[in-house]
Amino acid sequence: MKKIAEKYINGVLALALLMYYLIMSWILHRTGYEHSENLFIAEKIKVLLESDEGNLLTLGTTFPSLVFLSSLVFTPFGYLFAPILASIAIITALFYMIISDFKSSSKIQAFVYVPVVTLLFFLHPGLIYAAISGRGVAAILLFFYLVFRSLFRYYQTQTTYYLSMASIYLSCLIFCDYNFLWLLLAFFPFVVLVSLEGLKINKDQPAILQYFQSVNNVSQRRKLANRTVAIYIIIFLLPFGAILLFQVLNQTHAGNSTYFLTSQYANWHVIGNVPIGEVISNGNAKNVTRQSQLLFQAYVLLLNPLLILAFFYYKGKLYELLTLLAPFILISILVINLQYNFTIEYYLIFLILGLLGLTIYGGRKFGKKVTWFLVFSVALLNVFTGIYYFKNTDDAEERTFYLSIKDYKNWLGTKTINEEFEIAAYVSSIATKQNKILIDDAAAFKVIAHLKDLNGVVLPLNKSFITLVENPIAGTRYILIAKNNNVLKTFSVLNAYNFKQMLIQEKFSPEIMFETEHWAVYRIFKYNKEMQIDALNDERLKQTK
Amino acid sequence: MNRCVLHKMNEAAVFAEDKLIAVGDIADTYSYAPIKAALNFGFLQRKEYVAFLAKEGYDIIDVRNEEMDKAYIEDCEVSHMNSFLYLPLRKLPSGELLIAVADPFDEKLAVSLTVKFKCPLKFVATSDLDITWMAHTMRGGFFVKEAVFSLMKKDPDSSGLITFTDSQLYFLFGFIGITVAMLILFFKPTFIAINLFSSVFFLFSILFKLYLALTGSKSELHEVVSKEEIKNVNEATLPVYTILLPVFKEDKLIRKLIWNLRSLDYPQAKLDVKLLIEEVDDKTLNAVRNLDFPANFEVIVCPAHQPQTKPKACNYGLHFSRGEYLAIYDAEDVPDSDQLKKVVCQFRKLPDEFVVLQGALNYFNKNENLLTRMFTLEYSYWFDYMLTGLETMDIPIPLGGTSNHFKLKKLIELGAWDPFNVTEDADLGLRVYDKGLKVGVVNSTTLEEANNEFFNWIRQRSRWIKGYMQTYLVHMRNPAKLVRRVGWKGFFGFNFFIGGTSFTFLLYPVLLGFFAMYLIFKWSFVNKLFPDWVLYISIFNFIAGNVLMIYVNMLAVFKRRYYELILFSALNPIYWLMHSRAAYKGLWQLITKPFYWEKTNHGLSKLSSTSQVVTHD
Repeated sequence: MKKIAEKYINGVLALALLMYYLIMSWILHRTGYEHSENLFIAEKIKVLLESDEGNLLTLGTTFPSLVFLSSLVFTPFGYLFAPILASIAIITALFYMIISDFKSSSKIQAFVYVPVVTLLFFLHPGLIYAAISGRGVAAILLFFYLVFRSLFRYYQTQTTYYLSMASIYLSCLIFCDYNFLWLLLAFFPFVVLVSLEGLKINKDQPAILQYFQSVNNVSQRRKLANRTVAIYIIIFLLPFGAILLFQVLNQTHAGNSTYFLTSQYANWHVIGNVPIGEVISNGNAKNVTRQSQLLFQAYVLLLNPLLILAFFYYKGKLYELLTLLAPFILISILVINLQYNFTIEYYLIFLILGLLGLTIYGGRKFGKKVTWFLVFSVALLNVFTGIYYFKNTDDAEERTFYLSIKDYKNWLGTKTINEEFEIAAYVSSIATKQNKILIDDAAAFKVIAHLKDLNGVVLPLNKSFITLVENPIAGTRYILIAKNNNVLKTFSVLNAYNFKQMLIQEKFSPEIMFETEHWAVYRIFKYNKEMQIDALNDERLKQTK
Repeated sequence: MNRCVLHKMNEAAVFAEDKLIAVGDIADTYSYAPIKAALNFGFLQRKEYVAFLAKEGYDIIDVRNEEMDKAYIEDCEVSHMNSFLYLPLRKLPSGELLIAVADPFDEKLAVSLTVKFKCPLKFVATSDLDITWMAHTMRGGFFVKEAVFSLMKKDPDSSGLITFTDSQLYFLFGFIGITVAMLILFFKPTFIAINLFSSVFFLFSILFKLYLALTGSKSELHEVVSKEEIKNVNEATLPVYTILLPVFKEDKLIRKLIWNLRSLDYPQAKLDVKLLIEEVDDKTLNAVRNLDFPANFEVIVCPAHQPQTKPKACNYGLHFSRGEYLAIYDAEDVPDSDQLKKVVCQFRKLPDEFVVLQGALNYFNKNENLLTRMFTLEYSYWFDYMLTGLETMDIPIPLGGTSNHFKLKKLIELGAWDPFNVTEDADLGLRVYDKGLKVGVVNSTTLEEANNEFFNWIRQRSRWIKGYMQTYLVHMRNPAKLVRRVGWKGFFGFNFFIGGTSFTFLLYPVLLGFFAMYLIFKWSFVNKLFPDWVLYISIFNFIAGNVLMIYVNMLAVFKRRYYELILFSALNPIYWLMHSRAAYKGLWQLITKPFYWEKTNHGLSKLSSTSQVVTHD
């Protein structure tokens, strides 16, 4: 019986975690919380599967590609739910992998790691957020774990297989978040040290002396350089190759090789990343002040005591320790040209790193009971630091998430209907093939995601869109406008400013049909002077600059 | 041991007593004349021996120019003449039978031949090599016919004598006819379909190679046989090991060959080494004759018969092989010194179904020029990763040209090599699987000479690719049967690894051409033939395929620490274009002269294997 329990415990726990996340996602859904990245991906899936035009552009350029493609797999469960299900599945897989790795490393006994890892995945708000927010964080964490796990396995086995796997996973990681390309620089210190390991020099000396010895000998220096370059290339060729390929495809199909990075139609981060200036001007800046060199690293360590514990076990293992430090270097590089507020993924990777570090050497220094006490208390502390993070986050959507979860009294109350849902319901009720509505999904992707279908909707990927923006009356009856207070208005051609310019050019006359705080649906008519004067006198458009 | 010339030499203090004992043991083990054992196992130099005979009053006659009575020769077995080194010439007017022998002092031979011919004998001395040459060319007819036709008689379905079967021709012409008709009737959709199929196949076959390489790389450090085990091998328990060395006009390599054989860590008396020389190859024979140090191999002369291919020579050599195991090497090969012991240990560990072990091949002149560097990368990933990957996945392994180690009995049961196939080794590897047996991989390396000259390389590669096409055609004569024998995994593995390799090389310049037309020259008509989605898939497949293939090449440097070669992997697309050139040549030859053996010149390298040993890290 005990053996059977041991055999299936990982599976049972993973299943329980899956159910837990499903319930939590349902609760979150009832509170009306929907992350914009979730809606962005859902909208792209809808466009891909329902639109008659531009499918290839959507499929081939939507970025982060792996987040998009993994969500696509779960489309049968609904467009809106697919990204969430994908995240849940990925985080559950990560959980399963971590407890399996703990089990196979056998340095820490089952009674230590099973409750600790389970505790973290059930209670750490960051991991819950990664699972049920529908963002791409889950995929980032999974591939981040796999990249570093492969590197550590390479150290243990010295087989090229694990270097290749690290390269493959790194490609995947970059296709989940392009910023991880900068690991290229972050990997440099430990790659040099790993190369040093392969040289025939005095291994009893400290690493710095070994390094000195190797660079002052022509033959050894050549070998060191060759091996360093070789390891670098074998790790980074696939990511670079994948990016090159993606750029060529973007060039041939979108006319711009960096379309996937710079277009608001292809990449949520273009609209989703909040500029630091905006965070500060909103007056809520708490975390962002810590996003500078050294402070950020210190804050990360504070938030992830498990990582500090992991470092403790790596004393004297220089290149492995440098491997664990590589993400800190990555962050240093990113901070150099920091323009956006870092969101949860840049903090959570360190928690995952801490767990990975423990799977390799954890539990080697103390007895079972001390280890259990140490690991469990640090993990519990990690849960509290996770809560601390969410209390102080500068990201509005993360804050909303925390409040939605925290306010458990509203969990089972009346389901909250959000603004985009209302607009979408109205658009669905009026748009038909005869009475089309012009929508720019750069800003209105949340609305599109909530639409029943795309019948009667003209989007930028339709060939007629440009013509209709110039002359809406030629093929549409309605137009969805991002109002002045809509934060995404600058990403869209169909915003209040442009709308006013259209009116000034006397292209058509509008009649307001439905509006919410950030959106307005207009019906458009042939030019009528009286209507036009009324419209231009409208308070909404008067404010437009 | 009966009295022979070696005793005389011993008495004259030119042949040591201990050597005499050792030669006696070898002669008894192999049923050879003592002189043969001495000359072929590194105890006696031919020139010294000739000088000794001359001193004893024997002139060496040129037996090839002697008048002969064929009736006497027809009474003799070639293997007997070959083992005891005699050749009956003619009856003398005195009533004596004139017999050319290598050892005119061999008393045992004299007695046995007197009994055999029932008349008085007169011995004249001649070169053992000339006796061998004459014996084989005059009496080897049966064996050479067996070497050529045995597989065809025994297992006609596995013979490559017929390149295309009727049903394959019907299928091929039917397919071409339908494709042409479709192109005439529905040009664009047919073109798109062909294009899609080609590019998807291209990517898939490279993905398959990457998968194999990754699978193989998992076990790159795995040692089935440890150094400790090899060290502890009891040499008395080691079996006789036959080494076949098929050569053709390799006179420059004979010295090197001897040194390489001497470096093998295996009891000399248990090495049954056969240098297989073609009847017309006087150059190599004379090189052996003129050696100024003892040779450690036996010359076997393969009588002239078409096709004049390496497998025919090997099949012929099999008839004279004595070992329990058998290995094939090329003349310039430098095997790891412990390779044979390792193979014996590994065979002892593996289940009986493993009948062949393939050693890894690599090059001693890797840094000679660009071509040798690319070749080294290719061989490194092929032998160090791909074959291990195939073995792990239990997919048929096409054997490489040399360093194949067989269980001799099983090899004969399998019908040995197909002389009509120009990559007989690959074909044999697949036949092993076809018969329900297995090929393994031994973690031991043989260094060869990388082809360092472009046209020589094209010739060699065109033969290999032609051979792969032949092998594919032979084994796909009955696909259903192949599936039954090797399973679906083996079937797809075979199709992608053997069929796919040749097809990919043929396809590569076509895909590259389209890519260049569209992206570089921006020819507008390409747009019409490539709707957006087709273009997307084609570009994806082409670039991904190339990047992955470069990656697979890069993997190759790790096991052997050839880190300095890694950047050369980026030139793989050019290397592949060379493959394509060779593939089209191979395809043309497959149709026009399928059994023609494109000779590869060896010995072109300015580097020697010994210099490599010094610099080898």
